[in-house]
Amino acid sequence: MAEVRHRIQDGTGASAAARIAAERKDPHARRITALLIAPGTIWMILFLVVPMLMMVYVSFWTQKTFTIEPTLTLNSWIAFFSSETYFGALLRTIRIWLIVLASTFFLGYPTALFIGLFIKNKTIQTIVLVLCVVPFWTSFLIRVLAWRPMLGKEGAVNIVLQKIGLISQPIEVLLFTEFSVVIGMTQIYVVFMVGPIAFMLSRIDPSLIEAARDLGASTWRIFRTIIFPLSLPGVVVGAIFVSVMVLGEFATSAALSGRKVNLLGNIIVTQVGSLKWAFAAVVGVILTVVIAFIVAALLKIVDLKKEL
Amino acid sequence: MTAILEIRNVTKLYGNELALDGLSVGLQANEYISLLGPSGSGKSTLLRIIAGFEKPDAGDIFLEGKSVAGIPAHKRGIGFVSQSFALFPHMSVFDNVAFGLRHREEEPVRDEGEIARRVNDMLDLVGLVDLGDRRISQVSGGQKQRVALARTLVADPKIILLDEPLGALDANLRSRMRAELRRIRQQLGITFMHVTGNEQEALAMGDRVAVLDSGRLIQVADPDTVYNRPASARVARFLDCYNMFEGRCEDGNRFIAGDTSFPCLATQGAQAGPGFYCVRFDKIRVVPASEAPQPGEVGVRATFITSEYSGPSVMYFFEGQGNKVLEVEYHLSHRQPEEFSLGGEYALLWSPGDALVYA
Repeated sequence: MAEVRHRIQDGTGASAAARIAAERKDPHARRITALLIAPGTIWMILFLVVPMLMMVYVSFWTQKTFTIEPTLTLNSWIAFFSSETYFGALLRTIRIWLIVLASTFFLGYPTALFIGLFIKNKTIQTIVLVLCVVPFWTSFLIRVLAWRPMLGKEGAVNIVLQKIGLISQPIEVLLFTEFSVVIGMTQIYVVFMVGPIAFMLSRIDPSLIEAARDLGASTWRIFRTIIFPLSLPGVVVGAIFVSVMVLGEFATSAALSGRKVNLLGNIIVTQVGSLKWAFAAVVGVILTVVIAFIVAALLKIVDLKKEL
Repeated sequence: MTAILEIRNVTKLYGNELALDGLSVGLQANEYISLLGPSGSGKSTLLRIIAGFEKPDAGDIFLEGKSVAGIPAHKRGIGFVSQSFALFPHMSVFDNVAFGLRHREEEPVRDEGEIARRVNDMLDLVGLVDLGDRRISQVSGGQKQRVALARTLVADPKIILLDEPLGALDANLRSRMRAELRRIRQQLGITFMHVTGNEQEALAMGDRVAVLDSGRLIQVADPDTVYNRPASARVARFLDCYNMFEGRCEDGNRFIAGDTSFPCLATQGAQAGPGFYCVRFDKIRVVPASEAPQPGEVGVRATFITSEYSGPSVMYFFEGQGNKVLEVEYHLSHRQPEEFSLGGEYALLWSPGDALVYA
């Protein structure tokens, strides 16, 4: 004991002890760290970094009718930005993304508010959240295609509206329009908004709300100043989920727009289908950049590292 | 003194559990009242009813003579500081304190200059004037406590309710905050009601101490009276400074506990019947069993088990009849510590007048 105190006092003891501990622990700890991160790193390099670099590279290749040659050219890039169809698809993708983001937020937030804040029992909370995921038990395509008999000219919505006399002629714009694409996407992706927000809301200490009320704030004020800011990380996570999935979408728009609404995802599918690899790569690069920008912007809103 | 808050026959049921049982008490203006009770005694319930977070099932509360039934929490002029502090984690210390002024429904303060002045005055009062810009996660437990207090005080409440305010702090900080709370209260001249399960804290803080048990107040008095003259055996038990012998009083002049008999004095006012005979830990003298007691002294025989040194005093633990643990406290400013031998027979002696008899 006396010896330890002496060593600590003259300062050499502590540093010596630290050095010994470091020497003893380090090689072993370092080997374990390396072992643990190796599979993930190898996977990411092989299947993310290399393909991305390939995609950028291929986007500069020369496209012949059915083949591509590794002669570098800007032709595919020029074709994309000079074509009304392709550049229009980029704008349309962004527009639909914004609409779906807004609709999933405005539908999802109240739902999450109910689940996360109004259901006090944790078990019931979990059950209700699981119920939200039930539609995922059927295939993606079935969920999308199910909207056709709902929204079609002789579909359920039109029949009901005609029966109760709200309309005399069926509404035709319900299906095979941007509207039906938005409806389909909202239904599929809203749950990705609900989950993270409900999670953040359920973590809010009820005593905070009580304190705010005791300090005289109205319910709306409490929502604006306490509840919403504290749920913001959930909103951002949800928005990232929805954005990433919507921006790369092609199946919903293919199935519910009658091929009238072409998103960047649809263009990639058709270009790959006709072996236009270089052009598909251009669209792929653009899509990746757009997604990267949006995710980066969303992450600017809150510091997720601090909040979660 | 005038009663600023009057609680009359307040009853609260949770299912079939009686949390408060026709409780009545008055709070004086400009006083520090501590509410002592074990967990489950209904003390938090009482606080939440006064604050307005819960409604009583029967009875009423009068604030300055007017009933507060139906008046929501924030319009009562009563501040509430919760045990967890309930600070807003996404705001700075300053914004937490300013919250009420900025966001209250009635007469919010729009002028940022006035907000800054009032918030800074309050931060100054609680000793946090330099920490206004810190985030809540960047201040310590004791500082959080002060922020919570400042946030409530800034709205000029007439009464502050503190729910186990020192429970979340470590021992060192707790004693410092005790003095701090008393200073702040005196400076503002408002009424503090402090709920605690700790008898030391209740005695140290309160101008008056109210002892709560099973939804009823069993004593309301100044700390000295509560400590020296507990109103009943139950109060004495909460104080945790009395050796209590269970038994019965016979003829009003003898108390029989097991095989032992203690004389009762007329001044102790004991009636014949079952009850408790209580002797405070620090009123007992320990001598070897062979030594004769001084004239007039009474006592019991017991075996020494162990001792516990706590600085200003030392506690000795003995085992008496029927495995009953008896405690003796020596204040070291008055008495010398003694070495007792483990397992040795001793006589614990006291003067009959020092004992309290509840029967």
